[in-house]
Amino acid sequence: MFRKSLTAESDDTTEINLSPMIDCIFILLIFFIVTTVFVEESGIQINKPDASAAPPPEEDADPVVFEITADNRIIYAGNAIGLKAVSNQVRQKLTRDEVPVSIRSHEKASHGLFMQVWDEVELAGATKISFSTFN
Amino acid sequence: MPRTLSYETEEQTEINLSPMIDCIFILLIFFIVTTVFVEEPGVEIVKPIARTQEELEKNSILIAVTNDNKIVYGGKEFSISGIGTRVRQLLHQNDYPVIIQGDVHAEHGMVSKLWTEVKIAGAKKISVSTQR
Repeated sequence: MFRKSLTAESDDTTEINLSPMIDCIFILLIFFIVTTVFVEESGIQINKPDASAAPPPEEDADPVVFEITADNRIIYAGNAIGLKAVSNQVRQKLTRDEVPVSIRSHEKASHGLFMQVWDEVELAGATKISFSTFN
Repeated sequence: MPRTLSYETEEQTEINLSPMIDCIFILLIFFIVTTVFVEEPGVEIVKPIARTQEELEKNSILIAVTNDNKIVYGGKEFSISGIGTRVRQLLHQNDYPVIIQGDVHAEHGMVSKLWTEVKIAGAKKISVSTQR
């Protein structure tokens, strides 16, 4: 009887049982599905003037300085302006040359306003933008 | 010919699993490739709105500044000097870009301090996240 079953098996085409492998792969698959996070981060790269490394740049053009006060007002050339006026001011200055723009912000000013000003300046076409903080 | 037919019905029927395995492998490879193990800050941040934003790298260090000026990384609160050490450790392993998620109502001073700290820690690219 034993002999008979052996011969019967050898007659068959041999196949590997794939089910355990599928189980493994499923577990891996589920792990990766669960851990995958589709992070969509968008943002702006901001930079400060590097004080230590580079020598001070040639003062070929006066930088446009915007100041944000502690009570979230934007000061340009001594008077308060609105957020919409920021890009206009920058655009006027940019017509003659590549002008560096500096945003001086009080440390108590809101981060949101600071980023909006940065955005407006960048929208106006300025490329050399930096920020500094005062208190 | 009829003989083979009867022979087949006698056999134990099995589904051919190979195409399914192929499919699963492709799915698996897709998920392996797209997985990034980013530690999210895990706090609710209202991002400032900006129109000039760009897509940032997915594999970065995400640090949040909440509206009450707390620095959060990976679900834990950090002090300003603590985050400097942590970022230095992380950058030691691999040169990741750093993304600061600042809340709209956070103080600019805190974000600025964090920026300086991360810069000193040796980050090459520091960005501030925004939304449209």
